[in-house]
Amino acid sequence: MVVKIRLARFGRRNAPFYNIVIAHARTARNSKPLEVIGTYDPMPKADPYDDSGKLHKDIKIDTIRAKYWIGVGAQPSEPVWRMFAMLGIIEPQFKKSERREPPPLPETIKQQLIAQAKQKKQN
Amino acid sequence: MPPSIPNAASSAVSAVTHCTWSSIAASTNRSIITSQCHRIAGFSTTASRPRFTKSRRKFRLWINGAGSVFKKHKPDGPNYLKPMTGAASPGLHPFPINPFYRSHPVLDEKARETVWRKVMQEGEPIKAVSAEFGIDINRVAAIVRLKEVEKDWEIKGKKLARPYARAMLSMLPTSSLGAQYQNKPYEAINEVHVHPYTMQQIYWPTSESRHFTREDAAKAFHKDMLSADKRVPHPELIQMEKNLLNGMSPHDAAAEFKKAVMESEQEAAEKQVAKAEREEKYLTRVKSKRFEFRFKQYNSENVGPQGKNRKTVGWRYGAPYYDRQKDHQIKIPTSVP
Repeated sequence: MVVKIRLARFGRRNAPFYNIVIAHARTARNSKPLEVIGTYDPMPKADPYDDSGKLHKDIKIDTIRAKYWIGVGAQPSEPVWRMFAMLGIIEPQFKKSERREPPPLPETIKQQLIAQAKQKKQN
Repeated sequence: MPPSIPNAASSAVSAVTHCTWSSIAASTNRSIITSQCHRIAGFSTTASRPRFTKSRRKFRLWINGAGSVFKKHKPDGPNYLKPMTGAASPGLHPFPINPFYRSHPVLDEKARETVWRKVMQEGEPIKAVSAEFGIDINRVAAIVRLKEVEKDWEIKGKKLARPYARAMLSMLPTSSLGAQYQNKPYEAINEVHVHPYTMQQIYWPTSESRHFTREDAAKAFHKDMLSADKRVPHPELIQMEKNLLNGMSPHDAAAEFKKAVMESEQEAAEKQVAKAEREEKYLTRVKSKRFEFRFKQYNSENVGPQGKNRKTVGWRYGAPYYDRQKDHQIKIPTSVP
């Protein structure tokens, strides 16, 4: 069975809190995992005495265990992948890349196309 | 003064509207209409008749007679009822049948300003200010913190509830400080916290020739227990008294006390800085467009052999979480961030 690194939702209604767990892929979300390697609190918080409006999210993670599990082939879920990419444990899943330009047409084909266009105009 | 009946006019109007409505509905016999007028009670804008009870009547007699002095409070000090049972100090018991509730004096505006000035402008250690005026360390810290908030609000142009504060202070017993002369201590500042280890009764045989000190007593309670001399908020005051007993001049002893207190505050500040640095060392900050993600390094092997160690990270499996139990719903913060 595939071993996954994924989130298990705990907390309350409108107050989510996640355990970052190592679990077999076909087990229930909140079942007892192989290992808990961290937590993720998705509720953004401000620092005390800071009214600048800057918010942060708290994540606790055992990076050594995370690297180990990635090394033995555990598959991170998408949110976990994003987090691990932030820490540089794995490459980002979706890389931002430059917009691709098609290679220029060969001269001969270009002239043919221009000739065709001219003929169409005359007709 | 007879009890007034509010909304007399409006109730008359509503009675009229009721009659008209019922006359349209019935419109057969005049006697039926009038009887319906009395019976309608479904919806009424009439206010219920105020009851002038015996206790209310007695209260009115009292407030117009013997109790007329309590109608308006006297400025500068409390104006409490006289206690019904014999209490030690009259005039400090706001609840007349509870002689055990005593209204303690609060520090007035000037005193709080003095404390703030000493700490923030003259740079004296909090412990020194606490010892000088006999105000608890926590209270000194709280005064400084609240004063800072007040000054901050003033700078930002936020409106303060001054009239409210003035009214409250004029109704409570207050205590003032003079920065120039020796003040009576405001409260006991060197109380020992009653540690649970010290709540046991121990039979501890020792030889008669042995000098059994507080250190030994602490060790008898627990091997890691500190002596009462070290657990008090101001151990430096004990040292000062010892110095005085050994023949040091009061001036020198006071100077030494100030030095020791300054050092202890410095030490506490350094500890805090070191703690913050240690935490920062295990923290990775990653900025995204909207939030800063803070990754804190954690050792997941803290779970222990059973996997149920209290220090472990995250929600625990197979352990009840009592946050919705009645007794666990106290959400008053216990520390200042």
